Amino acid sequence: MLKKDLEMLVALQDLDLMIEEADDVEKLGFNITGCSELKNAREELAGRLSKPLLFRYERLRSKLKRAIVPVKNDICLGCFLRQPTSIGTKGREDDEIFTCENCGRMLYWID
Amino acid sequence: MQGSELQKYFHEPLFIADIKATTKNDAIEELLNLFLETKHIRNRQIVLEMLHTRETLGSTGIGKGVAIPHGRTTAASDVLIAFGKSEAGIDFDAIDGKPVHLFFMVIAPPHDEDNVYLPILGSLVTTLNIKKNRDKLKKVETFKEFLSVITGE
Ligand SMILES: [Zn+2]
Repeated sequence: MLKKDLEMLVALQDLDLMIEEADDVEKLGFNITGCSELKNAREELAGRLSKPLLFRYERLRSKLKRAIVPVKNDICLGCFLRQPTSIGTKGREDDEIFTCENCGRMLYWID
Repeated sequence: MQGSELQKYFHEPLFIADIKATTKNDAIEELLNLFLETKHIRNRQIVLEMLHTRETLGSTGIGKGVAIPHGRTTAASDVLIAFGKSEAGIDFDAIDGKPVHLFFMVIAPPHDEDNVYLPILGSLVTTLNIKKNRDKLKKVETFKEFLSVITGE
């Protein structure tokens, strides 16, 4: 159940990053017309998350800009610090959401 | 960003001289599959969703036969670009309504250490605004030929 939450958080963050950079991307010469649709989709997705989890995400985002980061080869790609290998095994399989002990971001294993 | 710098984000396994797809959705999937086959990405669904969402923001078909589908995703660890070419052209809801022949798919992690994502997009737009480059790219058959156009050699 929680892994599903994590995937929703990842989708939410992907959306937030897109909204955040839409102006910059438009300046490069792309045609941006659907900002309001995207914001609606964002709110709809946020509404499907539990309140405490959404709160945790928003708090991390306001503090660290990226709330969830990929982990590859045991490295947190938020702060580039190595994670204990023991966490990696659990992080890939457990239903719990793990955070980086160094930067506090939620971790998403991609390898 | 110069072409010489841009070239390091391209890799031969992320190059298709002849895209099989004939629709926008299939073209996006065909390019995305390259990232999956090379294990740069594992969670196909999340990235596919992100790319489709990006298209609702406005088609990445920027006109003159070029599309640059792109986005950051938490499911990626490196900035990488896939290239594909369609001789017949694909309807991509491009801003000028013309079929797309040249596809550049840019996938980036939520934050890249060197902040290259936006400069890469900008550099691609600049390179592809030049007709001579587009004409050359439409004819490339090998990855080597492709890189020589990108680096301007
Ligand atoms: Zn960290």
